[in-house]
Amino acid sequence: MNGSIHPPPPTPGPGRLAGLALRMLLDTPMKSLGTLIGVVVSVFLMAQQASLLGGILGRVTSLVGKSGVDIWIASAATESTDATDTIPASKVGAAAGTPGVAWAAPVVQGFGKVTRPDGVRELVKVLGVEAPRYAGLPRTLAPGTSLASLRGSGRILLNLKDRPAFAMARPGDRVEVEGRATFVAGFYEGVDPHSPYYYVFANLDDARALTAFPPDRITYAAVGVAAGEDPRAVRARLQARFPDALVRTREELSAMEERYFLVRTPVGLVFGLGSVVAALVGAAIVAVTLYSTAIDRARDYGTLKAIGASRRDLLSLLLAQAWIFAAAGYAAGMAAFLVVRAHLPQLPMVVSPHLVAGVALAATLSCTLASLAAIRRVLKLDPAVVFRS
Amino acid sequence: MTSYSQPPEVVLAGRGIGKCYGEGPLASRALHPTDIEIRRGEVLVLMGPSGSGKTTLLSLLGLVLTPTEGEVLVGGWSAARASADELARLRQRRLGFVFQQFNLLPSLTAVENVAVPLLLGGVAWPEREARAARALELVGMGDRRQARPRQLSGGQQQRVAIARALVNDAPVLLCDEPTASLDGETGRGVLDTLGRLARAGRAVVVVTHDERVRAIADRLLQVVDGRVVPAEVPGVAHSANAAPPLAPTHRRMT
Ligand SMILES: Nc1ncnc2c1ncn2[C@@H]1O[C@H](COP(=O)(O)OP(=O)(O)OP(=O)(O)O)[C@@H](O)[C@H]1O
Ligand SMILES: [Mg+2]
Repeated sequence: MNGSIHPPPPTPGPGRLAGLALRMLLDTPMKSLGTLIGVVVSVFLMAQQASLLGGILGRVTSLVGKSGVDIWIASAATESTDATDTIPASKVGAAAGTPGVAWAAPVVQGFGKVTRPDGVRELVKVLGVEAPRYAGLPRTLAPGTSLASLRGSGRILLNLKDRPAFAMARPGDRVEVEGRATFVAGFYEGVDPHSPYYYVFANLDDARALTAFPPDRITYAAVGVAAGEDPRAVRARLQARFPDALVRTREELSAMEERYFLVRTPVGLVFGLGSVVAALVGAAIVAVTLYSTAIDRARDYGTLKAIGASRRDLLSLLLAQAWIFAAAGYAAGMAAFLVVRAHLPQLPMVVSPHLVAGVALAATLSCTLASLAAIRRVLKLDPAVVFRS
Repeated sequence: MTSYSQPPEVVLAGRGIGKCYGEGPLASRALHPTDIEIRRGEVLVLMGPSGSGKTTLLSLLGLVLTPTEGEVLVGGWSAARASADELARLRQRRLGFVFQQFNLLPSLTAVENVAVPLLLGGVAWPEREARAARALELVGMGDRRQARPRQLSGGQQQRVAIARALVNDAPVLLCDEPTASLDGETGRGVLDTLGRLARAGRAVVVVTHDERVRAIADRLLQVVDGRVVPAEVPGVAHSANAAPPLAPTHRRMT
């Protein structure tokens, strides 16, 4: 076989045809700009929707995740911290005596009504925590507040974010819960409810009194794992000891919280769908542009075919065009999103490495899918068209 | 792939190549089975009425159209069983195309357009640019390297297209109506360029209605109703026929 007749294909360096791809896009600047704006909007929406969902899910898990509790013991009839029952207070002592457990403490929770200084009565979730450890209390206390601030009866900790609703409350201010007087002892941060109610932390006995909680029962036994112990092993031990209760590590209960929230509220669906629709809209815009360009440029692609472009060359050329849109659209869309986010700190938009990578992946994927129709069209093109005038 | 013994001067040949468009009752014959040989250093001109099958024949020889019967031999090797990508590589290395509509990429400068076959062949940029610039010199467009197609006249665009067909040192140039979009004077310039290239050793096939092409033709074939027949070339020393004597050696000055 004669090697000069069938030479080996040239090894295509990465992006060998990227320059040509870019030039072809720049040749129809308005069309390309319009497409780019479509991708930018799509990336922006994907990032914004996904980050809001991430932020809301972060709130959903913040109570369980930010309190320094390693293992939670609750009623077997538990779907989430919003849907649970009570357990006997005696579980705390039994848990504390289990190997691998460093400490165990009771937590009670109940709903009541809080009266704001302006007279509005709103739903409040009162969480009772026990001195001196105050397990279950967020470890993220606001500057100026310490665990010791809560010591003494009738004291509560408010969310720093809720200060405006309480007439810029300061330590010592009086707040009425279920018609009883309590006093603001300080503030915590980082733990936010996902629904319009307040979290208020109080001493165990006060919380019982405020929410008429039965004295011999608790909502959770909060457990700390001894240094060097595997929380999952300790959890298994506790579960074996309390077969009639639900024992979950912090991560497991967080996952339960998320699942409950996603199933019981349309929030996940709305934001998830928002991201998917944004990705699809971006893909559709790119697909229409690439396809219509492939038709408008049939003569150019036919010429390239006739003068020797292989299928692979044409594939690279069209993928390069799609990826140029993806890359430029991602850069601009993500930048726009980060700027908007910086200006709207009150919205729970969380930017995780997962989100940054996920949106990049989604943009690349949707642009790649979008190029398929154009690729098919160009590969099927008959190079003989170039001889027809 | 089969090899045939044929004179080394034959750079491209068709063995019984014919073409039917469509299938079944709708099939229409555009070209009856035809033998044709194209030799180094010659200008072979195909003339004939509209719809007679000239472009079909050129497309078969150019490996952009698959023959219904017969086979095309490139440098003695049959392209009959080559894959689409192998055909693309053969076109890229062995054949240069010149189209009636020039078919330059509007987004690229003249020198970039000429360099496209080298880009497809994996040649690196500095060498691409140097070779493309040389090809442009050869067609007298050395001073318009950076011009875009839309800034060039038709004749200039066609010369850029010829440079693109040359840049890979392809031994064969296939030209379909290269002067049809050009005015008389410009067309003559393009024909002169093609004639010079043949004298420098390339094989040039020209499909045309342009009578002036007789001035550069070594051999003239008529295509009539899908059949190829020899035609007289007045003023050409050796009389035209389907298998002419080899071009005299003095005309091969590569
Ligand atoms: N893709 C095609 N499908 C069907 N029929 C075709 C196709 N291309 C050409 N034909 C037919 O084949 C015949 C030969 O066409 P061809 O284009 O080769 O003629 P031509 O000699 O180049 O004509 P012209 O001088 O007008 O360019 C014509 O009858 C034409 O209608
Ligand atoms: Mg024709």
